[in-house]
Parts: sequence; C-alpha cells; structure tokens
Amino acid sequence: MATHEHEVLRYRRNQRMVHALLASSFLLLLLTGMVLLWGPLSFLAEGGNSRWLHRVGAIGFMLVPVAYVVTDRRGAKELLVDSFKYDRDDVEWTKHVYRYTMGHAAEMPPQGRLNAGQKLHHATVIVVSASIVLTGLAMWFFKPALGATGLAWAAVIHDLSMLALTLLLVGHLYFTYVYKAISGMTTGYVDEDEARLEHAKWVDEIEEAAEAAPLGKEEETAASS
Amino acid sequence: MAETAFLLDLGRCIGCQACVAACKTGNELNAGTQYIQLIEQTRGTFPVLEGGFKNHRCYHCTDAACVSVCPTGALFKEDGLTRLDREVCSGCGYCVESCPYGVPEMVDGLSSKCDGCSTTVKAGGEPWCVTTCPSRALEFGDRADVLAEANRRVDALKERYPNAQVYGETQAGGLGVIIVAPDDPEQLDLPMEPDPPLAAGVWTGVVQPVSLGLTAATAVVAGVAAVIARRNHMQELRRIEAGEIVVAGITPGTDDESKEG
Repeated sequence: MATHEHEVLRYRRNQRMVHALLASSFLLLLLTGMVLLWGPLSFLAEGGNSRWLHRVGAIGFMLVPVAYVVTDRRGAKELLVDSFKYDRDDVEWTKHVYRYTMGHAAEMPPQGRLNAGQKLHHATVIVVSASIVLTGLAMWFFKPALGATGLAWAAVIHDLSMLALTLLLVGHLYFTYVYKAISGMTTGYVDEDEARLEHAKWVDEIEEAAEAAPLGKEEETAASS
Repeated sequence: MAETAFLLDLGRCIGCQACVAACKTGNELNAGTQYIQLIEQTRGTFPVLEGGFKNHRCYHCTDAACVSVCPTGALFKEDGLTRLDREVCSGCGYCVESCPYGVPEMVDGLSSKCDGCSTTVKAGGEPWCVTTCPSRALEFGDRADVLAEANRRVDALKERYPNAQVYGETQAGGLGVIIVAPDDPEQLDLPMEPDPPLAAGVWTGVVQPVSLGLTAATAVVAGVAAVIARRNHMQELRRIEAGEIVVAGITPGTDDESKEG
C-alpha cells in the first residue's frame, strides 16, 4: 500500500469509478456522434454500428447520476449543493480567473473544496446534460412524432449542448494538466501543499474534521466530489 | 450527364400498376419493398365524383431535405436525381422524417427509395417504370425537354381541365419529376411549398460546421495556453518552495518532490 504522507484524499474510490463511467461514456458518445458531423469520419457510421454504440454510451451516461447516488450518496449531494452555492470569495475569484487560468494560484481568493470555476463547470455540465439527454431521448424514441421541423430543432439543441460539453471538456483537461491534478482521479490523493494553495478553505475543513475525529478514518472524513 | 428528369402525366395514368411491378422486378426489390405506390384518389361528393391516381414516389428535389440531413452522404444528387447508396447508409432515419413528401422508408434498418434506376440508365437504358408504362404517362430524359413536353401536355389538357398545370418546375428548387397535374396540385395532395424547414438548414448548414470549427479552434488555443500556464504554475510552486512567495499554511523547503530531486 502506498503511503499518503503530505497528501490529502480528494476523491474516494467510488467517486473515481463514477468519474470513469462518465468519462468513458462521454468519449464514446462524442466519437459516435462526431462521425455524423465530420465528413472524413463518416465512413465509421456506415452500416449503423455507430448508432447502437451511441445508445450504449447514452445508457452509460444516463446511469452516471444513478451510480453516484447509489455508491456515494453524500458525495453526490455535496456535488449538487456545492455547484450551485457561491460565496463572496467565489465572486472575487471569478474576477481574477484569468490569473488562475494562466497558472498563477497564489494570491487568488481562498477557495473551498471546489473553486468557483469548478462550481460553474459542474453546474453547467448538470444543466446542459439534462438538455442533451432530453433531446437525445426525444430523437431516440419519438422521432416520428417530431416531424421534420421538430427533429431538426431537437438536433440543433442536441448538437449545441454537445458543443458546450466538449468545450467544457477541453477546459477540464486544460486545468487538470496545468495544475497536475490527474492523481486525484488515479490514486484519489493530491499533494497537500498544492491543495492548500488552490483550496485553502477545504484543507482547513479537513484538518478541523481530522482533529475532531479519531485517526485512521481519513477515507470517510475527507470531503468529496 | 446533364440534368435529367422524369415526366409524370397524372392525366394519362390509368392506374394499371405496371410501373409498380416493373420497378419491383427490375430493381429486384424484396417482398414488402416498393419505390412506387399508386394511390387512388377520389374527389368531390357523390354522385359528382372525379378520380385519379397519385403516383407516389421520390420526386428527386433539387434542394433535397434528405440529402441535406444525411450524415454519411448515402443520399446525394447526381444528374438532377437523388441517388441512394445503401452501402454507405447508417440507418439514422433522418431522411424519413425530413422528406416533405414522406417518401424514404427504412427497410432492413437502412433507407430505401427510388434512385432513378441509376445502373440501368448509366448503361444506356431507361428507368423500368418508364419502359413499361403503356399509356405514356411516364417519360424520362433531359430535364429541359421533359419540362417543354410537360407544358405542351398541360396546354392540351386545359380545354377539358381548366386547372391543369405543371407541378415541380420550381418546388424544392425544382423537382426531378415534372408532373402534369390535371387539377390544382393541392387537390392531388401535392404541397405547393415542399421546401425543407428552416431548422434543417440551421442544423446541418450552421450548427454542425460551427460546432466543429469552434471545438477545433478551442482545442488548439487551449493546447498552446496549457504549455505556458503549466510552466507558470511550476515556476510558482518552485518560488513558494524557495520562500519567495508566501502562502499561509505552506512551509517552504518541505516539499517531498524537491527533497528527492
């Protein structure tokens, strides 16, 4: 077993599994959807295999919130609550988002478990995912009822939603790389000093909780999502 | 080849079904599949009734909604006609919903419709329905010639049928089936404006290319910026470690990685 000295637990195992389900289903959906948009890839859509793969991805994608609630109810709740709750530090942080984007975390307003950018990211993902799922289900099960105009508008909303999610994915990968955050999703742990630099209020909370609770309960006490 | 077209003279159609049968056998269509359907139409109220046959088939629109929504290029325009390559079809069914005439059908999970007897015509023959039509209600040839013939026939029809007119010269950018309509086309269940909906153009003409372009551009910009920002961040971490930048709660010189390195 690896020791996690000078590290803090950021994502529990079940959260990492749920994230893996989201990531794999999303990438499958992106690829099997992209073959319908981009001419050079359209040969992959021939014969219709990409259609049922898209539906497999869709089922995986729709199971993400279910899997999160079932495997880690508290984590799911915290994600939902935190993503839509902003304090004054978050507003200030957002004003200086350019600094943070360019790799400067010091002197940014102190952030909780999620920084304001992550909150906005999650909130947008939740809302846009709802729109992509609804339009996707409409085109999957109610295509004849939509008619030519309905189908086209559903596809427009579906495509624009995916555009938003794909741009958010680019940003997600960007910040993961810039702040070398990948270990949060592989081992679940991140460097304590870097966590303090980027999520000072969160690390304070963890330490308070650790002082209050007996040792060795880190897995359960660390905050989440 | 120049723009070709069918002539469909509804004033001459006797509803014999010969075209339906010839199309099925000539194109070796499976049971349950047909590219032409003869629909008997009755108008008026008893005892003053008028009847005729609608030759329901692909009208080969120039601005074809099916072509514009087809993601794989299985549907495409050639020689003024709308071809279908089932080998390339993905089975999405967008053409079925988008066609203003409700023509394409899904057969064995793939789109199915008249392709103007592409193979036969390219080998120098005529479409099967045209070859077999006993009343010369169907003709095939250069679109300009077909249009001229249709106008001649309508002029001749007007004595007995004052509402007779040519249908398909302008609809949906001009049809590849020029119809001699003995009555008001709407009476014959032929829409006067079968153009694809605006939304279909927004979808495939604007949203799709813009989405691809924006995604590609963002990925490139993010890729370049990521290298710069990562360098900035690593430098920031080194300066914190060296005590040049003070961050509450972080003791300089205690980082494991720098000790090991």
